[in-house]
Amino acid sequence: MTTAKKNKATFLQIAKAVSWAFFGVRKQSDLDMDASNLTPKQVIIGGLIGAAFFVLTLILLVKLVTN
Amino acid sequence: MAAVHDHDVAHAHDHHPSGMMRWMMTTNHKDIGTMYLWFSFIMFLTGGVMALTIRAELFQPGLQIVNPEFFNQLTTMHGLIMIFGAIMPAFVGFANWQIPMMIGAPDMAFARMNNWSFWLLPPAALLLLSSFFVPGGAPAGGWTIYPPLSVQMGMGMDMAIFAIHIMGASSIMGSINIITTILNMRAPGMTLMKMPMFVWTWLITAYLLVLVMPVLAGAVTMLLTDRNFGTNFFNAAGGGDPVMFQHIFWFFGHPEVYIMILPAFGIVSEVIPTFARKPLFGYSSMVYATASIAILSCIVWAHHMFTAGMPVTGQLFFMYATMLIAVPTGVKVFNWTATMWRGSMTFETPMLFAIGFIFLFTLGGFSGVICAVVPIDIQVQDTYYVIAHFHYVLVSGALFGIFSGAYYWLPKWTGHMYDETLGKVHFWLTMIFFNLTFFVQHFLGLAGMPRRIPDYALQFADFNMISSIGAFGFGLSQLLFLYVVLKCIRGGAKAPAKTWEGGKTLEWTLPSPAPYHTFETPPVVR
Repeated sequence: MTTAKKNKATFLQIAKAVSWAFFGVRKQSDLDMDASNLTPKQVIIGGLIGAAFFVLTLILLVKLVTN
Repeated sequence: MAAVHDHDVAHAHDHHPSGMMRWMMTTNHKDIGTMYLWFSFIMFLTGGVMALTIRAELFQPGLQIVNPEFFNQLTTMHGLIMIFGAIMPAFVGFANWQIPMMIGAPDMAFARMNNWSFWLLPPAALLLLSSFFVPGGAPAGGWTIYPPLSVQMGMGMDMAIFAIHIMGASSIMGSINIITTILNMRAPGMTLMKMPMFVWTWLITAYLLVLVMPVLAGAVTMLLTDRNFGTNFFNAAGGGDPVMFQHIFWFFGHPEVYIMILPAFGIVSEVIPTFARKPLFGYSSMVYATASIAILSCIVWAHHMFTAGMPVTGQLFFMYATMLIAVPTGVKVFNWTATMWRGSMTFETPMLFAIGFIFLFTLGGFSGVICAVVPIDIQVQDTYYVIAHFHYVLVSGALFGIFSGAYYWLPKWTGHMYDETLGKVHFWLTMIFFNLTFFVQHFLGLAGMPRRIPDYALQFADFNMISSIGAFGFGLSQLLFLYVVLKCIRGGAKAPAKTWEGGKTLEWTLPSPAPYHTFETPPVVR
C-alpha cells in the first residue's frame, strides 16, 4: 500500500466506491482494491460530492413529479 | 501476547485514591464506563417511573392520578431523561469500557477530559430534575421544546435549557475523545477495515454527535435569548419564525435518532456472529451501510414536520429521502439474518436480546416507512401511532441493544457469569410486556388517539388499559435486570477469559474481570 499506488485512484473509481457505499453493499474484491487505492480524504470528499449529487437528483425527481 | 503486566494486578490500587475520591478523580476508562452505565440506569428508572405515572393516568378515561399540567411535565421529562440521561450515556458507557479493549489501546485518548465528560452529567441531571420543584414546574411543552410554548413557560424551561447545554458539552467532549482514540490508538495491524463493528458504529456516531450537538446548543440558546433577553428568533410578532425552530431542532433531532441506534447496531453486530459462531456476513457492507445511514440521516429532518407547513416539493423531497434510508437499513437486517443462516446458534441471553432487536426494530422501521408517506403522516401526525413507532425503534431497538451488550460483556466486566436462567426470564418478560405495551398503541393511533393527553374518549379505553398493564409489567421486569446485575457483581461462577466460544474480538484475550490497566503493550493484530 504505497503512496504512489494510492494516488492512482481515478475519479470514476472513487465515484464507484461511493455509489456502492450509498447502497450499502460492496464486493470483497472491489473493497480490497478500494482499500489499496483510495485514501480516506478521497473517500470523504467523494462522499460529500455524492451526497450533494444525491440531493440534487432527488430535487430534480421532485420537480419532474410536481410539473 | 503480554496484554497484562504482573504489576497491574499487584498494584491495581496504586497512585489513585480510594473510596468516593476514586470515582471523583478517576481517569480510568473502565471506572468511567462503569459510572456512565450506573448513571444511565438510574436515569432509566427515573424516566421509567414517569412513564408508569403516565400509563397509570391513562389506565382508564378521566383524570384520576395527576392533573393535566403535571401530566404534560411528565411526558416532556420522560422523553428528555430517557434520551439524554438513559440511552445516550449508556452507549457512552459501553464505548468507554469496550473501545479501548477492542482496539487494543491502554485507555481513552484524553483521560482527564473523559472524567470531566462524565462528571458534567450528574449536575445536568439534577438541574433538569429539580425543575419539577420551581414555580411553574418542569418543562411541559414536549421533549421537542417547540416555541411558542417553550418561550412562555416558567423558569423550569431555563433550567432544562442549561441542562441540555451541559449534556451537549459532555457529549461533544465524549465524541472527540472516542474519535481520537479510534483514529490514533489502534493496535498495530488493526487497519480501519479490521476494526470490530461496534468500534465502527461508534466512530460514525461520534462524528454525527460532533455535527449536530452544536446545532441543538444553538437552537436552545436562541430560545434562551428569546425568553430572557428580548430577541425574536422564534416570535412571529417580532418578525421571527417559530417554524424555524422546528427546522433547526430536527436538523439535530433526526441524526440524534441514529446516534441512539447506530451503537446498538454495533453491539448486535458483535453478538450475532459470536452466538452464530460465524463471521459477520458482509462486514464491509455493514461499514458502508452505517456510513450511508449517517449521511442520509442529515437530509431527512423535515419528515418530522410534514404538517407544520411546507411546499409540496419539500414534502416530496423529504418523503423520498426518508424512504431511501430503508435501503441501507435493509442491507443491515439482511446481513444479520445471513450471519445466522446455517450458523451453530445457541440462544444465551445476549443472543435473545439481539434477535429480539432484529425482529422488533424491523417492525419499528416499517412503521417508520409508513410514517414517511406524506398523506399517511398527515393522518397519524401527533397520534399514538407515532408513539408506537418510535418506541419500537428506541426501546426494542436501542434499549434491547443495550441489554444485549450488557449481558454479553457483564462476565468480562465483573469476572462472574450472570444467572442465565434469570437473564432469559428477563428477556421473555421484557419481550412480552414490551409488545403488550406498544403494539396496541398502533391501533390507538390509527383510531385517532392524540399523544400528550391525560384524558381520552371512551372508544380508546380497552387498548389503553392493555397498554398500561403491559407498561407496569415491563417496568417491573427491569427490576429483575437490576437484580441479575447486582447478583453478577457480588458473585457467581467464575467467567473464563474467553467467556463466549465464538468471541473473536480483542477483549476476549484479556482475563475476566478485565484488569484495571490493559494493553499497556499493544497487541499485534494479524
